[in-house]
Amino acid sequence: MESQKIGRREFLKGLAAGTVALAGLGVVRRPAPASEETPASSYKWVMVIDQAKCTGCGYCTLACRAHNDVPPDISWNRVIAAGQVGGKKVFLPRPCMHCEHPPCVEVCPVRATYRRADGIVMMDYSRCIGCRYCEVACPYGARAFNWDEFTGPNPAVPTWGQPEVPRRPRGVVEKCSFCFQRIDRGLARGLVPGVDPEATPACVVACPVKARIFGNLNDPDSEVSQLLARSPSYRLREDLGTAPRVYYLPAREETVSTVSSRPAPLARQEVTR
Amino acid sequence: MSIRKPIPRFTLFHVWLLGLATVLAAGVVAAGVVFRRGLVVTHLTDLVPWGLWITIDLSSIALSAGAFLLCAAVYLMGLTRFQPVARTATFIGLIGYSMAVLTLLLDIGRPDRFWHALVFWNPHSVLWEITMCVTLYLAVLLLETAPILGQAEWMQRRWPGLATRLTGVHRLAPALAVAGLGLSLLHQSSLGAAYGVLKARPLWYKPDLSVLFTASAVVGGPALTALISMIAARLSPRVHVDDELLDRLAYLIGWGLIIYLYMRFWDALAMSYTYQPGRSEGLGLLTSGPLSFNFWVGEMLLGAAIPIVILLKASLRRNWLLRAAALAMVVGGVIAFRWDTNLAGQLVVLSYLPQDIGVRYTAYVPSLIEVISGAGVIAYGLLALTLGIRYLNVIDHRMPHEAEAVHGARPAPSTTSEQALSSAE
Repeated sequence: MESQKIGRREFLKGLAAGTVALAGLGVVRRPAPASEETPASSYKWVMVIDQAKCTGCGYCTLACRAHNDVPPDISWNRVIAAGQVGGKKVFLPRPCMHCEHPPCVEVCPVRATYRRADGIVMMDYSRCIGCRYCEVACPYGARAFNWDEFTGPNPAVPTWGQPEVPRRPRGVVEKCSFCFQRIDRGLARGLVPGVDPEATPACVVACPVKARIFGNLNDPDSEVSQLLARSPSYRLREDLGTAPRVYYLPAREETVSTVSSRPAPLARQEVTR
Repeated sequence: MSIRKPIPRFTLFHVWLLGLATVLAAGVVAAGVVFRRGLVVTHLTDLVPWGLWITIDLSSIALSAGAFLLCAAVYLMGLTRFQPVARTATFIGLIGYSMAVLTLLLDIGRPDRFWHALVFWNPHSVLWEITMCVTLYLAVLLLETAPILGQAEWMQRRWPGLATRLTGVHRLAPALAVAGLGLSLLHQSSLGAAYGVLKARPLWYKPDLSVLFTASAVVGGPALTALISMIAARLSPRVHVDDELLDRLAYLIGWGLIIYLYMRFWDALAMSYTYQPGRSEGLGLLTSGPLSFNFWVGEMLLGAAIPIVILLKASLRRNWLLRAAALAMVVGGVIAFRWDTNLAGQLVVLSYLPQDIGVRYTAYVPSLIEVISGAGVIAYGLLALTLGIRYLNVIDHRMPHEAEAVHGARPAPSTTSEQALSSAE
């Protein structure tokens, strides 16, 4: 499978090089190395979301909006009502899945979206041409296009945090980045993402019921590794072969009943459906 | 018909030009609104990010397929009698591809970065491959049309040196035909594959979408060329067509339609077995939902069934009106196929929630700005075509044999029409 893919890539590259040479365009830069070719990282960032704990308060969405300066009409992180278990409402918070085989990265014509060695699917907002192919390709609806310019103050700031990344221009696609800026700055300061709040995605830190756990799956002692080793979990649309790095611990009757429902009227409007 | 020199007056031709210019002007204004205010002026959403403009884009490229096909037929298969038609097809091709580029500029969120795909390569992306192929093929079409400009009488009179150079490009015709065939086969199919590789969209996710896009382009492109030639010959005394040639082409299009319909039949039938979330609903949109009129009437009845009968039955085909109508239906069927395919895959929103295999439906109706700017692109195409026919002798089946290496040469669309205009002053 992997070798087949590379075979096709090499074929297309050769083909492209040939056709370009034909047109006499010799000034084209080599593309950055593809995600599969990048060296393995010691980090494998994953997020675990415990549906038994999530109360659908929407704090994560708002914290995300503030820290990433996301406009009010876009949610990088959506909380979706997902039926009932044991008489209690169940929710499904949906960040970007940071797939191991991301369809968006494959289809982007300009490599504006790419996969880092640690697995974070990134956006290069200065390269995106706004064709929205990634949006059409994403199975999770995790991408949003900036149909309009986001001007003026962000209503989520400062209540839910301070922006840590530049605001995106009109005409590009944006999405959740696992708060790469917090991870990178935290690691540089010797902090541990998933343990130290400053190095952990804003949604994880903001969750009042600790329904989100973040960490390094390459570290067998990390909380995410421990949790996934002992609890049954699932990922969204595993049949597509995207291999998401967001794991869900399902709400079961015996787990959901032990958690008290904490209403959070402030942010309830963030829940979809 | 009269022999005396007519006094210049307001003719139907002027009305036609004026009408097109008006729509074009409105389109330019609408495009200005799009560029200034951004895509917020469209009715596109994150659920339906591709709409009317993509359809115009796909359709203009599909309907330009006559260029590569007829050039291949003339220069690679030796069917030299189709050479004058190939010349027309190449001109239409250049206009079609320039229309596609204009529509894409409207459609992408950052038109100022249109060149990024040429610099930042992702050979994995079908869309990248399409961008490269379209760019290169546009260059091929420019070269193929250069002799048309060089042969124009006014060109030879005013700039004889340049005209000779442009005409000389026809020596490259066989090589250009090879390049055009390769590039076209690549991107015509890739436009279908752009949809066909998306596993998250079950209605699209199939390898035959790329084949269907090519097959429909192969019938639609020559159909548009033949149709325009027939209509122009009716309206203008400057246009000379060999009706036998167009009749033969129409007959071949009829057989092409049968092959295409055969593939569409199996494509649809295979999808109708077993329930698959997303795919079954998408097929339902086509066969019994909001797109069903387009599908059954636009694509199947008018787009295939009726034209097959007309184009394959000699007595019907020889009737000018019936043949023209059949060719127009084929063209319409290709456009309907693009519109339906694009929308049917997006209007079904497949849930990713584990306990919910159901789907939701969304809707899309283009905004007025989308319609006007799209109409502006089409008006530009028709205007360029009209001026090309009028001043560049694009449709002339009496082309002498010495020009036989010139199957498809024709100038760049914008410069051509501008020059044509200025010379007409």
